[in-house]
Amino acid sequence: MIPDRPDMAAALAAPPLTNLVRAGGEMFNWSDPAGPRNALLGHLVAESSGPGRTVLIAGPHPAGLVAALAAGGAEVTWALRSLADAERAAGAHPAVTVISGAFGKIDLTSGYDLVVATDGVRRLNSAEGEQLSAVELLDRLAGAVRPGGTLILMHDNQLGVHHTVRLDPGSRFRDDAAWYPGEADASPAARAQLTAHLAGAGLVIDADYAAFPEPGAPAVLIGGDALGDVTSPARPWLATVLAQAYTTAFRGRPVLSDPRKLISRALRAGAEDTVAGGWLVVAHAPGDEDRPRHRHDVLVGDVNGVYAVEADGPRMLAPAEDPREVQGLRRVEVIRPVAGRQWEERLLELCAAADVRGLRQEIARYESWLGSGPVGGPEALADFSSIGITGDGPVVLSARWEPAEPLPAQLVLVRTLWQFAVRLITWGRPHPWPITASAADLAAILVGMAGRSLTDEELRAAIDLQLTIDGAEFDLDQAGLQAQRLALLAVRPGTAPVDVTGYHELTEALWRQRYEASHLLAMMEWNEQMIQSRDAALSRMDWELQLLRRGWGARGLMLAKRAYKKVKK
Amino acid sequence: MGKVGRFIAGKADNVRLRTRMERKTMHHANHHYGHSHILARYCEMPEPLHPPRIQGYLQHGWNIGDGLAPGTPYVSGTPLLVWSEETRRRSWSQGRRDVVVVGAPFAYLVEMTPPPAEPGEGTIFYPFHGWEGQQVHGDHQRLIDEVKATETGPITACLYWNEYRMRSVRHLYERAGFRVICHGYRGFWWRDHNRDFLVGQLAELRRHRRVVSNRLCSAIWYGLLAGREAAVYGDPMVLDNADMTFGGEPRLHRQWPELYGRETDFETCHRLARIQLGADELASPQELRKLLGWPKEGYV
Repeated sequence: MIPDRPDMAAALAAPPLTNLVRAGGEMFNWSDPAGPRNALLGHLVAESSGPGRTVLIAGPHPAGLVAALAAGGAEVTWALRSLADAERAAGAHPAVTVISGAFGKIDLTSGYDLVVATDGVRRLNSAEGEQLSAVELLDRLAGAVRPGGTLILMHDNQLGVHHTVRLDPGSRFRDDAAWYPGEADASPAARAQLTAHLAGAGLVIDADYAAFPEPGAPAVLIGGDALGDVTSPARPWLATVLAQAYTTAFRGRPVLSDPRKLISRALRAGAEDTVAGGWLVVAHAPGDEDRPRHRHDVLVGDVNGVYAVEADGPRMLAPAEDPREVQGLRRVEVIRPVAGRQWEERLLELCAAADVRGLRQEIARYESWLGSGPVGGPEALADFSSIGITGDGPVVLSARWEPAEPLPAQLVLVRTLWQFAVRLITWGRPHPWPITASAADLAAILVGMAGRSLTDEELRAAIDLQLTIDGAEFDLDQAGLQAQRLALLAVRPGTAPVDVTGYHELTEALWRQRYEASHLLAMMEWNEQMIQSRDAALSRMDWELQLLRRGWGARGLMLAKRAYKKVKK
Repeated sequence: MGKVGRFIAGKADNVRLRTRMERKTMHHANHHYGHSHILARYCEMPEPLHPPRIQGYLQHGWNIGDGLAPGTPYVSGTPLLVWSEETRRRSWSQGRRDVVVVGAPFAYLVEMTPPPAEPGEGTIFYPFHGWEGQQVHGDHQRLIDEVKATETGPITACLYWNEYRMRSVRHLYERAGFRVICHGYRGFWWRDHNRDFLVGQLAELRRHRRVVSNRLCSAIWYGLLAGREAAVYGDPMVLDNADMTFGGEPRLHRQWPELYGRETDFETCHRLARIQLGADELASPQELRKLLGWPKEGYV
């Protein structure tokens, strides 16, 4: 990215930076934006760092991460290709040594106890000078690890869902950093290739994870035995957590097709590794300083913080420090990877099979699970996608919010069923009801399945509750809330998804819109015919009435007039 | 009223008017057999005797086709409200898309009508008929002899209204000692309906122990659902312009052989009837109201 023109006077007036080294090949008039700080990556990096350890940070990273490492007592060196970024970094972090230049020119011979490359290798080459291949860059990173030291590397997956669903025509021509197209480099294209390459470079792999949803901002890491294990009892829970992560990441972004659909299919096929956003590898160079290394199979970072899920249950590793109560909702940490099945999946299946009897049973089960009194706790806000059906009945698999005060059961029921109706329509899922039904219609039918009526006020209250949840979850401001309210109130058959707008889903919505429009036109034509036919009947009856009202003479005149008209025709 | 006036405003003219409008009817079949009246009662509508217009085509007879009666003028895109999941699937295979299962109105009627204490006696016999536009060929007398030879106990013959009006046919059955009844006229163009058609039919079915016909038809399924034994035997009396698109009579025999013969297994046949009439898929009143497009004031 090209920054604004530098201010010459300010540059000359500034004190010289003693902690900035120019290695050569640094990029002028250039800046690389770093993503927001990621709790998951921050935690993993902090785990491997410590006082007195030398740390190399390769490429653009969130400034907060660097500052935290330096504050933790580590000797941090930060390599950046952009000179402007390097100057800013050196000014902001006096304790950090900043090296600016092409990664190939930087002297790494001293080695480091920890090498952090969670931005991957794509922003290490400079536009200047020799262009190292991805493999050479990986080798350089591996070579920078001292015996006993650690490498934490994120590697982009070209087959990742985030690439597959990208709908960004011309992006390469708008991207100033894409002087070589991304697909051109022969970098490792699978996790096994990546780990094999690092092993070949002399490292020992401690942990390798499939990272979701995107390499730049991972929220879920799956590794070890959990990866690809379709028999794992935690699968439905993983499906819920991944769906949440993809919703948060892709909300409001135009995509080719809803990534949640792809990832849920991949999960079912045990193929999540293949379509993960990237792979995160923690490896070390063999040496005397080998420390016992602990690895978790599943790591998740969300609004509540970072937690690991083990066979014996979830464990919070780094709780978040944000406020715990927002707009009548309270934060909760519900992490229950229990054996069961996602309820929503079951309902979608029943809808696709047009099994209305089965649907009625499921809704009755949900109704009795809620009970008749006010509903408190995470149950009150859980939708079907975050509830699992287990041997012991329904269980909330994952929740981040609960109401501060218990909510009426009817409100909870209506909100959940309405929300399911919205999904049926906007995801273009098959259901046994009229194609032209709106979300409100479907909600009324679903609520009717529980033997209840649905009033307009109840539906509005349910949508307001959904708005509160969305507001808290996505941190929406007043304008965002209003836009969301309008979108939610108007979910008709032709509505595309209200959160992630996929091209596939848009065309699907267009099909439904056309269906509705052609039906309306046919209906209009029909009504026109009916009006015509009734007009004709009415005018005939009116004539008869006039005839009967008149005296014999006038009647004769009328009849004669008509006869004359007929003959004239 | 004078002679001319009487002539003009007379019945003949009315019939002409109706015939003219009939070509343009879409929904009047929804009122056949008092279907919409039964559904309005089930849905707890404020005026069940004057049901609102159903927003769709309600299947009005048991059907082995796409759920619409042949030749029904169809407004493209309107929901087709069918009795059973099987009909919905078949309808989809025939290019229909907006097909929704609601269950047979008769099944709703059975739900609303408490069963009688008496088990019923004798047999009710439905000789197969066409509708007004068709004439059946076949020997009524041979049919009568066969039914008499098979059935024990009193026999009631239920004739379709056009046969009931034909004195010769009616006398054939009366001479054989049958009680001859007719459930009434199904209705035409929103008029002359017997709103209680099915109510009367259910009562008659329950009066008897067995329901018999020479062809598998709605009445046989209705009888089974009402808890009566059913059997199909005798000359099926082929219609002169029968539509063979969906296989016609021979297909009935092949697909539902369980119902054919003088004795049938009640449990098996009852189960089949529940499937055909969608009896296990009936909607709740609130749900049905929404499916028929009958919203109530202040409700979604």
